[in-house]
Amino acid sequence: MTSISSSLQLAIPLHVSYIKALGDNKDDLTYHLTAHLRMNAVYWGLTALCIMGHKEALPREETVEFVMSCWDDEAGAFGAHPDHDAHLHSTLSAIQILLMQNALDRIDIHRVVKFILSLHQPSGVFAGDSFGETDTRFLYCAVSALSLLGQLHLLDSEAKERTVNYIVRCRNFDGGFGSVVGAESHAAQVFVCVAALAILDRLDAVDEETLGWWLCERQLPNGGLNGRPEKLEDVCYSFWVLSAMSILDKIPWIDVDKLIGFILSAQDLEGGGIADRPGDMADVFHTLFGVAGA
Amino acid sequence: MHGVKRIRQSAQVLEAKRLREKAKLDDYLSLTQDVLSRKKSRDWSEEALQLTSRLLQVNPEFYTIWNYRRNIFLNGIFPRSSLEEINDLITKDLSSTMTALKAHPKVYWIWNHRRWCLENTPNGPGAPGEADADSWRKTNWDRELFVVEKLLDADPRNFHAWNYRRYVLASMPVPRSAKSELAYTCRKIEANISNFSAWHQRSKVLTSLGESSGSVPSQYLEEEFNLLRNAMYTDPSDQSVWIYHRWLMGAGK
Repeated sequence: MTSISSSLQLAIPLHVSYIKALGDNKDDLTYHLTAHLRMNAVYWGLTALCIMGHKEALPREETVEFVMSCWDDEAGAFGAHPDHDAHLHSTLSAIQILLMQNALDRIDIHRVVKFILSLHQPSGVFAGDSFGETDTRFLYCAVSALSLLGQLHLLDSEAKERTVNYIVRCRNFDGGFGSVVGAESHAAQVFVCVAALAILDRLDAVDEETLGWWLCERQLPNGGLNGRPEKLEDVCYSFWVLSAMSILDKIPWIDVDKLIGFILSAQDLEGGGIADRPGDMADVFHTLFGVAGA
Repeated sequence: MHGVKRIRQSAQVLEAKRLREKAKLDDYLSLTQDVLSRKKSRDWSEEALQLTSRLLQVNPEFYTIWNYRRNIFLNGIFPRSSLEEINDLITKDLSSTMTALKAHPKVYWIWNHRRWCLENTPNGPGAPGEADADSWRKTNWDRELFVVEKLLDADPRNFHAWNYRRYVLASMPVPRSAKSELAYTCRKIEANISNFSAWHQRSKVLTSLGESSGSVPSQYLEEEFNLLRNAMYTDPSDQSVWIYHRWLMGAGK
């Protein structure tokens, strides 16, 4: 049986130019309307370039200076854009970017760690910022950030237990995990919970058989993956679902060739970049997750 | 970005679009600059509040501005307002976020602001112990269930709305019964068998009825299997039904 992917390739040079050109959109209203995502977008773009072997396409100095310009000195952490408030999500992206650019020495680690730990709730979850929205996404951001900074040991055994217990309380009847206690399983939340447990070395909290089944049921006849039952396929789930399956060592439970074929067919072979599904507009978010999946 | 169709546009079309948007862009950038500089200088005025309203209408995902708006309320406006005035302002923000949610039902920041409004509804109008000591809060909370039901009618799989529903049910001054929630999920499932969100909610309500045991009390099992059997006959290819069945078989232990 010939695989679909043999007729399509990952158009690396095209995607590299696409990512390079993203910063040129300063006349575009949409570019400015998404300033609250800029730190994340730089992370997505840089990571995709690294995977494709073209990290140099984004100039190192400029990237590092951009990250540092998002430092919120009042909070001691990073916002999404200059003058935007600090948030755990943008702080993780900042750390990831600086790590990839070998510039972690630019961070005031002590202050950032203080910010992260200040967001740890009695229930074990983390808030995203001082306004208190809680979500397992932020739990992952905190654990991952601390780990990348080499400061995970600052979560003492009581704090670690509390964190793991929160994740366990988010476990649902289908083996999956939601954003908060009681929430429906969603592939992105499954990723953040499973990844956090992996970092904390507590994968024993996962019902691997049940969750493995729920995850492989995300694959649709067209090869794409969805995020929840009866939802549409979307390239970004190539990352959320696939990463979780990789951590659980269950990649063979899905048809990898068909998935690759789906991702490649969502490429924009004229302008570059990858979209959520074939025929849609490309964006940097889906470009990263498509490249990572493929 | 999700679900946006790719359209090939010629250089001329793109240039025309750019010119049309230029005025909007200039307005947006100058408004943003104005608001952010007021924020930096800790401007907690009524005028600043109005500017945040304008900016958030254009871009409800600008989380920093939601933060600033709340800080204006807390630091500037609430301290010089009566409890009744505070309740009025909160009620107005609940109303404007409802409008925003109809257009942007999946924006976390709008849902967050609603929660903040509810949690900051003052006690009153009566004094503690009086009959109407809690009326403002009761009114605001009761309305929330109605708001969430409207949004779940529009999109029965909107997890923001389902999460919010659970939050409201857990926080309401006068709680609803587990039975009424089972009835609600049943209605949602009857409307659409493959509403996994409703099946999930059902699994949570049933588990809560089992309290600390973590399993479904046996008196509910027969009804569940009946519901499942009907669903299986209606649409045997729907995965919700099989995943739920697998769980129920385990829960019966």
